[in-house]
Amino acid sequence: MRFLRGEPFAVAGVAIYAVIVAAAVLADRVAPYNPTEILRANRRIARYLPISGDFWLGTTSSGMDIASQLIFGARTALQVGLTAAFAVVAIGTVLGLLAGYLGGWVDKAITRLADVVLGLPFLPTMLVLASLTRPGTGIVVFTVTALLWPNTARVIRSQVLSLRERAWVEAARVAGCSNARIMFVHILPQVLPLAALYGSVAIGWAILAEAAASFLGFGDPASMSWGVMLQDAYANQALSRGAWNWFVPPGVAILAMVLAGFMISRGSEKLLFPKLGDN
Amino acid sequence: MWRPLFVLAGLMVPMVAQAQGDPIRPLTIITQPQAADPREYQAAQIVAEAWRKLGLTVNLRPLPGQQFTQVVWYERKRWDVTTWQMVGRPERGDPDELTYNLFVSANADNGYDFVGYINPAYDALAQAQRQELDLAKRKALVLEAQEMINQDQPYGFMVHPKNVVAFNKSVWDPKSFVAQAGIGIRSTWSWLNVAPLGAQKDVILNSVAPPTNLNPFNIPGAQGSWATEMVWDRLMRVGPDGLPTPWAAEKVERPDPLTVTVTLRKGMTWSDGKPVTIEDAVFSLEAPGYGDKSPMYKPFVRNISSVTATGPDTLTIKLKNPDAAFLISSLAKLNLAPKHIWAPIFEDLKTKPQTAESIQEDKPVGSGPFRLVKAALNQEIVLEANPTHWSKPKVSRWIMRIMPNVEAALGALKSGEINFLADYTGDPQILRDLAKANPNIVVSEALDIGFRFLAYNERRPPFDSKPFRQALSAMIDRQLLAEDAWGGAAEPSNSWVSPALEAWASKDIVKRVPASLDLVAAQKLLKDAGFVLVGGKLHYPTGVKETTAPFN
Amino acid sequence: MLRVIAERVGHLVLVLWVVATLTFLMFRLMPGDPTLNFLSPSFNDETRAALMRSFGLDRPLWEQYVIYMWQLARGDFGVSFLQNQPVSVLLWDALPNTAVLTVVSLVLAYAIGIVVGAFLAFRRGSAVEGVAIPVALATRAAPEFWLGMLVLAVFAFHLGWFPTGGAVSPGGTMGGVWERLGSADFWWHLCLPAVTLTLFLQGLPLLLMRATMLEVLNDEFITMARMKGLSRWSIVMRHAARNALLPVVTAFALGLGASIGGNVVIETVFAWPGIGRVLVGAVQASDYPLAQGAFIMIAFVLVVMNTVADLAYAWLDPRVSVGARR
Repeated sequence: MRFLRGEPFAVAGVAIYAVIVAAAVLADRVAPYNPTEILRANRRIARYLPISGDFWLGTTSSGMDIASQLIFGARTALQVGLTAAFAVVAIGTVLGLLAGYLGGWVDKAITRLADVVLGLPFLPTMLVLASLTRPGTGIVVFTVTALLWPNTARVIRSQVLSLRERAWVEAARVAGCSNARIMFVHILPQVLPLAALYGSVAIGWAILAEAAASFLGFGDPASMSWGVMLQDAYANQALSRGAWNWFVPPGVAILAMVLAGFMISRGSEKLLFPKLGDN
Repeated sequence: MWRPLFVLAGLMVPMVAQAQGDPIRPLTIITQPQAADPREYQAAQIVAEAWRKLGLTVNLRPLPGQQFTQVVWYERKRWDVTTWQMVGRPERGDPDELTYNLFVSANADNGYDFVGYINPAYDALAQAQRQELDLAKRKALVLEAQEMINQDQPYGFMVHPKNVVAFNKSVWDPKSFVAQAGIGIRSTWSWLNVAPLGAQKDVILNSVAPPTNLNPFNIPGAQGSWATEMVWDRLMRVGPDGLPTPWAAEKVERPDPLTVTVTLRKGMTWSDGKPVTIEDAVFSLEAPGYGDKSPMYKPFVRNISSVTATGPDTLTIKLKNPDAAFLISSLAKLNLAPKHIWAPIFEDLKTKPQTAESIQEDKPVGSGPFRLVKAALNQEIVLEANPTHWSKPKVSRWIMRIMPNVEAALGALKSGEINFLADYTGDPQILRDLAKANPNIVVSEALDIGFRFLAYNERRPPFDSKPFRQALSAMIDRQLLAEDAWGGAAEPSNSWVSPALEAWASKDIVKRVPASLDLVAAQKLLKDAGFVLVGGKLHYPTGVKETTAPFN
Repeated sequence: MLRVIAERVGHLVLVLWVVATLTFLMFRLMPGDPTLNFLSPSFNDETRAALMRSFGLDRPLWEQYVIYMWQLARGDFGVSFLQNQPVSVLLWDALPNTAVLTVVSLVLAYAIGIVVGAFLAFRRGSAVEGVAIPVALATRAAPEFWLGMLVLAVFAFHLGWFPTGGAVSPGGTMGGVWERLGSADFWWHLCLPAVTLTLFLQGLPLLLMRATMLEVLNDEFITMARMKGLSRWSIVMRHAARNALLPVVTAFALGLGASIGGNVVIETVFAWPGIGRVLVGAVQASDYPLAQGAFIMIAFVLVVMNTVADLAYAWLDPRVSVGARR
């Protein structure tokens, strides 16, 4: 947490994450309703209710409580975001480590693979994959992982390139440490903070990708995510009915979560633009 | 203290289990994704909630377009329940097509009877109404068929939707629109008759989806058909009253059940200047039957045994079987295509794998009241009035804008970018409110011929049980669906014949759903059939094992 | 330098080939039957088989692959299932619209980003910075379609200043690329999508410019210049900015490639008849040849722009060049 000092943006980012995590953990207790329950008023469905004491953000066209959906949405957001981020960081770090430390054909192969992956356009690939398999959050996480690891790998690789020339690595080698041991015990801890920063950006991409997939009709409406909420609001013409209480909150929630990732990672702008950082 | 009880409970479980069958597996309702059809998705949500009250576990599973069709239509043993719709087409103004195709057992394997409903008594009825040329007798048969389906409930009918459209009355004379039964004012008759009030003489309307290529042997989707109907003439058209009306034919007669004679209208020309001849008419009725080169239109000529020109403007059609609906289902469906263009194309296709549907002419040649001048993918279709047509339109162009975004279509109507909102999938109340705030906008609602329903897969237990299906259907609150899911722009349904077809509809059939909306009565239906509720979960009757895998 | 170019181009061809192969596999190995959507489900199996044959889908996979590669090499993407026109015709019709939208937005985004970024570097630590940076980041963090719909709601639905979608007015003609660029109607339709895309794109150049400016400002030659008595602003503009532009220019090339594919959402929101919209429509309608063609074209643009960026970087930055300069 020391890196937070003198970084007001990073502090703000961490604060946003804290709120989201709290909402996700406490969703059952905080949310006033079951987010997928169709609420009734007499026999009719309680649809399009405005903001009130009972319904903090009103209700949807299906008579569901928007505030509860928003709160439970934090869970999906964290699930999708963290899974994707973890996978991206894990794969990117390991491959970057291997490429940077071992060099030679391993490096070449991994670099080539990264080039090919960077040649696959992100959203189009996700759309095509989603249309071919079962749409939903799984495909979002998969695409984010499969297409974004090269960014992390590149940065880690260049970092490792400089680290492996250090005296203590040489010392470890002389002392008879195996390559694996040097890579994963000695070097890995040095590059992990950098990788973690990439992870916080990947969380953002995963959330945005999920929202885009939902909008284009390839989301999983059964999951209670902010992207699905936005799609729900859009499909039911929240804009035309002036239901800002429905259309704005999920968008702001997504924005806040992605923004938080950006802010935390802003310690180095190069992180936002990895290609320039390595040479 | 509790230990002996525990043991007892352990002993009890197998004993109880013998008193009923296995618990029913979790059932899955397949729907379209919410993005594709928010109303249908919401309806499925409401129904699923109601069915859970019967002690069932019900899940919703949205599938995107292509997978949806694939599973429902081609993997007929795999799914439990699906949402589905039959859309209103002019030729469905005669109930024959749906009465016959949807429920006859011959169609169960790979035809329209995708739910696998098998009932020989129904087959006989459907066949009888098809061959009955006496209108009164045929009506009685169609009513009887509807009652039979009401008892068997192979579908959980939901609603007959209304077509909700709107236009700008500062541009168009509201009195000049023509409402067609079961379709409303978004009809070919409107485009032929609508009169401009001022300088704007182009009809500009919206479509949510882009049509496929336009040619007389292709059915280019619902919206594309609006255009093809006007570029190519037909011998007959479905009139505003829903009855077949001579169009490019001057006269159509049926001297006996197997013969139809047609007199062609004189003086018609193709858009390339050549005259429309009786040979063209004969060709147009025969061409869809050539080989397998026109699969979409082939079904409409299957019952034709021969077509012969009997004079310079007369022809005779001989049928294989009596067919009460022939004039609507075939003569008002088949496009007149120029023989001098299409005969060589069909000849050329003989050696190629392509079909006639795939042909895209550079400048399509038709004899209709409009001519195609532009078709740009994802942008627009532009038709121009044919000044030499015998039924010359009063507008100069007919422009269909492709607008995938419903909100944008509404905005475009407000701003005047479009002057006819033809394809509106949104909430009708929003449109009504818009019209209230904007006096130039007029909303028009008309009950559609089509219907929305839940299809029960009779191949998979427990849907093979009639009382089970009845209980499910009983729990569908059709009024609630019409009011809330469809925003009031729908009528409750319990039949494939829409009340829009007054002559054929069975009055109050919605009120005759067995055990309608009565949870106790529905539970009794199940109980009488041997289904048992254990701890709130519905089980099969005694001795019945759950052998069907849940849909996943 | 020539050697670098030859090497990168060779590499480019290799990557293109792999991407094309991956695309082929992706589209062929999917479950389901591609003929479903344009067939009425009432057709019999024979008819379906005939249609499969007409699209060459009945041949063995390797044979399909060879045909596909051979056609691709000649710029032939096959025939659209639903439109029954050559895919290449449909794509070439849409590509210019996407290119114009992307280039205009990128130029705007970079113009704004560079100026504001330089300014913020100059005013480092000020209150302005504290506001500007979160705002710049926020527009990048917002879901595109949400931002687009809000822009539409305000400027098209409520104020009525701009059209609600499309690239030309109803019944208008859309001629060749130059004709389009000379048409006021086209530009008027371009405004809202371009503004939305600009909002989405400006964060990166802004932050990049600011960061590199900060680095350059600390360099020795700036101190030298300052000692020569030049004014602060002219130092920034003449010396620092010029040096700071290097990574920004490279980012531009990369952005061009990435955003051609990333436009799918904005093109859908604004009904902009570009290649992203073709892709979305084709995927939704299961028009595989068209979807595949659009996908490959987007991927190729991306790969080529990646290489251009690599080359530009190698050329502009003496540190990475292989001793060719210096």
